[in-house]
Amino acid sequence: MKSKKASAFLTKFLFYFGNIVIGIIFVSPLVWMISASFKPESRIFANMNSLSTFFPVEPSLNNYFEVFRRIDMANVFKNTLLYIGLILILDLLINSICGYALAKFRFRGRGAILSLVVALMVMPMEAILLPLYIEMSQLGWVNTLQALVVPFIAKCFSIYMFQNFFHDIPNDLLEAASIDGCSPVGTFFKVVMPISKTVYATVFILDFVAHWNDFMWPFLVMTGADKRTIQLAVQSFFSTSPVHYSAIMAALVVSALPMIVMFIFMQKYYVEGIASSGIKG
Amino acid sequence: MSNTTVLSARKRNERVAAYIFTIPAVVLLIAFLVVPVIYTVYYSVFQYQVMRPKDITFIGLNNYARLFGDADFYQALKNTIYFTVIVVPTQCVLALALALLVSKRFRGVSVFRTMYFSPQLTSMVVISVLWTVLYNSNPNTGLINSMLAGIGMKPINFLSNPKTAMNAIIFMSAWQGAGYQMMIFLAGLQGIPGEQYEAGSIDGANRVQQFLYITLPNLRGTIKYVIMITMIQAMKLFTQPYVMTQGGPQNATKTVVYYIYTQGFQKGNFGYACSVAAVFFVIVVAMSLIMQKLTADD
Amino acid sequence: MKKNLASLALVSAMALSLVACGGNSGSSSGGAAPASGGGNDASGDVTNLTIWQPSDKETIENWWIEKLDAWNSEHPEIQVHREAIDRSDSYAYDNKVATAVTSNDLPDILFVDGPQVSYYAANGIIVPLDSYFSADDLSDFVDSTVAECTYDGKLYAISATESSVALYYNKGYMEECGVDIAKLESYTADAPMTWSEFEALAKQCTTDKYVGAHIVMDHGEGLPYALEPMYISNGKDYLSEDGSKAQGYVNSSEAVETTAFLASLIANGYANVDPITDEFLNGACATEIQGSWDVSVLEAADFEWGVTYYPVSDKTKKPVSPCGDWAAAVTMNCGNVDAAGEFLQWLMSKENVASYAAAIAKPASRSSAYDDPLMADYKEYPLTVFVNQLENNAVPRPRTPSYATFSTDYAEAMTNIFSEAASNGTVDEAFIQTQLDNVAASFEEDYNTYYGQ
Repeated sequence: MKSKKASAFLTKFLFYFGNIVIGIIFVSPLVWMISASFKPESRIFANMNSLSTFFPVEPSLNNYFEVFRRIDMANVFKNTLLYIGLILILDLLINSICGYALAKFRFRGRGAILSLVVALMVMPMEAILLPLYIEMSQLGWVNTLQALVVPFIAKCFSIYMFQNFFHDIPNDLLEAASIDGCSPVGTFFKVVMPISKTVYATVFILDFVAHWNDFMWPFLVMTGADKRTIQLAVQSFFSTSPVHYSAIMAALVVSALPMIVMFIFMQKYYVEGIASSGIKG
Repeated sequence: MSNTTVLSARKRNERVAAYIFTIPAVVLLIAFLVVPVIYTVYYSVFQYQVMRPKDITFIGLNNYARLFGDADFYQALKNTIYFTVIVVPTQCVLALALALLVSKRFRGVSVFRTMYFSPQLTSMVVISVLWTVLYNSNPNTGLINSMLAGIGMKPINFLSNPKTAMNAIIFMSAWQGAGYQMMIFLAGLQGIPGEQYEAGSIDGANRVQQFLYITLPNLRGTIKYVIMITMIQAMKLFTQPYVMTQGGPQNATKTVVYYIYTQGFQKGNFGYACSVAAVFFVIVVAMSLIMQKLTADD
Repeated sequence: MKKNLASLALVSAMALSLVACGGNSGSSSGGAAPASGGGNDASGDVTNLTIWQPSDKETIENWWIEKLDAWNSEHPEIQVHREAIDRSDSYAYDNKVATAVTSNDLPDILFVDGPQVSYYAANGIIVPLDSYFSADDLSDFVDSTVAECTYDGKLYAISATESSVALYYNKGYMEECGVDIAKLESYTADAPMTWSEFEALAKQCTTDKYVGAHIVMDHGEGLPYALEPMYISNGKDYLSEDGSKAQGYVNSSEAVETTAFLASLIANGYANVDPITDEFLNGACATEIQGSWDVSVLEAADFEWGVTYYPVSDKTKKPVSPCGDWAAAVTMNCGNVDAAGEFLQWLMSKENVASYAAAIAKPASRSSAYDDPLMADYKEYPLTVFVNQLENNAVPRPRTPSYATFSTDYAEAMTNIFSEAASNGTVDEAFIQTQLDNVAASFEEDYNTYYGQ
C-alpha cells in the first residue's frame, strides 16, 4: 500500500518536473527578450553565463522611451488596424460563405473550386510578389489602401477551415430550418453563423496575427511616413542607425503586445476554435 | 405541389445560393492569386533583367534549360524537402507529446498550456531575430553556447556551420510551431470517449498499449490534418533563412522560395526567377492535390 | 434577412467589378501607370518633386524637415517632398527600387548607395547630371566621391557625405594584455599597421572573454565594402578597372592569399564568424574593422578606445581605405529634370553639405565643408583618421553595372569561406579558390548576358 502511494507520488513528481523543464525551454527565449528590452545596450550580453541574464539587474524604461520617440505609435497603430480591420471583416464574410457552400451545397463546379482552394493554399507569397505588384500598378493601386486590402480578402486556408468546420454541422439542423421556410442563404445567416462563433474567432485571430506581421508587401507597395505600418516601423530598428539590440528588443516587445493582449481576452475562443478546426481530418 | 417539385425548387435555390456564396471568393482568388501565377509563367519565357523593363527578350524555354542544369536550384529543392521531411514529424510528435502532457486536468495545467503556446504569440521574424542572437557561436555573446560552456562543452557554430545550420532552423521552427498543433491534438484527445480507456484497462492494457490501440487510431483524422497544415507551411520556408542565414553557409539553408526571391530581386534575374517559381508551383500544387486525395478518403 | 442579402449583393458586385477591372488592365500590359511619387502631374506651373531615401537617425530626419520647409517657402514653383523608406536589411531598399522600376513608379529623386550608381546608370534608371555640376563645382568634392558617382564618363549622382573604415581598439583591455599603446598611436596614414602586426595583435588579445578582432560587418554589402582595401593593398582588386572582368581578379592568387589571411583570423579563433552587431561596444572583442559611423555609437562605451588606420599588406605596404556613401540621383521617371537639378545644386551647397554631414554624423564629401564650425570634430582625433584616409587613399568599390550580382555572390562566398574556416579550424586554400572562381564566373555570366557586346 505504502509503496503504491510512494510510486504515485513519484509519478506526480516526475510529471510536474517534466512539465516545468519543458515549460522553461519554451518560455526562456521570450523571457530573455523581455529582460533584454529593459537593459542598457552594454549590459545585454554581459553575464551571459549566469542566471542574471534573464533578469534586468537595474531595469530601465529607456529603451521603450526610445521606441516611442522614434515611432509615432498612435499613427502606426491606426494605419495597421485600419487595413487589417478591413481585410478581416471581408475575409470573415467572404471566406465563410464560400466554405459553407463547399461544405453543404451540391452544385456543378464544387469539385473544381475545392481543388483550386487546395492548390492555391500552398502558393508562397514571396514567389509572386513582383507579378502581384505589376498587377497593382496596372490597376493604379500602388500606394493606395486597396493594394493592402483587396488582394488579401480571399484566403484559401480560411476557406478550408470554414469548410472543415461547417462540414460537421448536422444536416438535420439545416433541414429543420429549411422546413421552417428559411432559404439556404437565410439558413446560413440565421442558423449557422450564430452557432459558429469559435471558427470565426479562430480565423480572426490567425489572420490578424498573420497580417500584423506583414512586412514585405506593405514595404514594396506603400510609400510615406503617414502610411507606415507596425512592422515597417519595427524593421527600421534593424537598419536605421543607431542599431542597438536594446532598442530592437523593446520594439519587438511592443509589436508583440497587441497579440498578447488579444490572446488574454480571446483565450477561450482561441483554444476552442483552434481545436474545433482540426477535429475532422 | 408534389414532393418532387418542392425538392427540385429547394435544389434550385441551393444552387443559386451556392453561386452567390462562392463567386466572391473565387473571383478574388483568381484575380489576385491565379493572375499573378499566370504572369509568372508568362515572364518565365523571357530574358527580363528587373532594371531593364524596356529590354525584355523572348527566349523560349532557355530559362528552363538553364534551370535544369542549375546545381543551386537542385540544392534549394533538396533543402526544402529535407526541411519538410524532418520538421513535419518532429513538430507533430513534439506537439502530440505536449498534448499528452497537458491533456488531463491537474493543478496548473492552463499555465503549462500557455507556456507551450507562448511562442505563437510573436511573429516568425521576431523569433528568427531572437534566435539568431541565442544561437550566436561565441559563448560570451550567445545564450545557448554560454550554457554549453557552463557544462564544459565546446561551442557549436549553430548557424555558421553547414552541418548544423538547417537543423538549428528546424529545431527553432518546431519550438515555435508545436504549441499550435498541441491545441489541435488536445481537442482530438478530448474527443476520445472515456469508455474506450475503461474497457481497455479492464482488458489489462497498459499505458503504452492504450496509447497504441486506443489513442492513436482515434486521432487518425487529427493527425492527418496536422501533418497537412505543417507540410504546407514547411514547403514555403522563407523567413527563417532570410533573417538568420541568408541561405548559407554553403547553400545549407537555401530554400526554393528564398532562391526565387534572391534571383528575382537581389540579382534582378526576374525572368529566370519566374521559371524557378513556375516549376516550384507545379511541384507544390501536385503535392497538395495528392495530399487532398489522401486526406479526403475518410 | 433583406439587409444580409443586400450586403451580400454589394460585396459580390464589388468583387465582380474588381475582376472586370483586373481583366481589362491585365490585357493592356505595359500601359504606363502614373508615378506613385505624384511628382509629374504639374498643376499650373508648380513642379512637385518626390525624394526617396532610406530612413535614418532622428537628427537627419529633422534636418530634412527644416531644410525642405525653407526650400519650399523660397521656391513656390518647385515643391519638394521627401519619403523616408524603412528598410530591414542592406538589400531591401534596392528591392523596393527594382519593384518600382518594373512599373514606372519611381520617385523624381532617388538616393542610391555608391556602388549601385553604375548599375542604375547603365540601365538608364538614373540620368546624367553633368549640366548641373561643372568641373569647377566638383573640384571641391573628394576624388573618391566624384569617381563613385561617375559612370562611363558622365556624372550620374552626387553625394553630400562619405564613409570610411578603420581599426578601433579597446585601450583599457589592450593595456591589460600588455600591448604597446604608444606604438598603436604612432601609425600614420602613409605607414599604417601591417597585416602581420594586426594578426599578432589579435592573437595577443584573444582570451576566454575577448576575441582579438571583429572583421565581419554583416553578411551583405558590408563584406565587399569593408574588405576591398585588403585586396587592393595585396595587389589585385575585385574586378578589372573597366568593371567588365572578374576572372584573374577576384579569383587571382593574390585574392586567394588575401582571403586566406582573413579566413585564418577566424580559423585561429581570433575573430568570430557570426559576431553580434555591437560586439566591440559590448566588450567582447579587442579590436574591430569598423565604419566611421561607429564613433558616435561608441559614445555609449564604458571603456576607453582608440582608432588607427586601415591595415596594409606586408608585401606592398600600400595604404588603401574604403569609401562611398548614399548619393542623390535623378530618375528616368522625373518629369522636370531641370527643377531636380536646381534642387540638387542647392542641396549640395557648402553650407548644406556641412550641416547635413554634421546631422548624419558622417564625413562630408566637400573639402571646404570641414571649415564649417559644425564640422569642428573632424579636425580632431579620432575623426581625423577617417578624413585623412578619405583625402589620401580612399578607393571606391568597383564601378560596374553588374555590381548587385557581384555583391550578393561575394558576400555569399565569404560567408561560406569563413564558416568553413570556423568549422574546421584550418584554412583550405583550394576551397577558397573554388568559391572565388564561382564569384568570378557568376559575375561574368551576368555582365555578358546583359551588358556585353
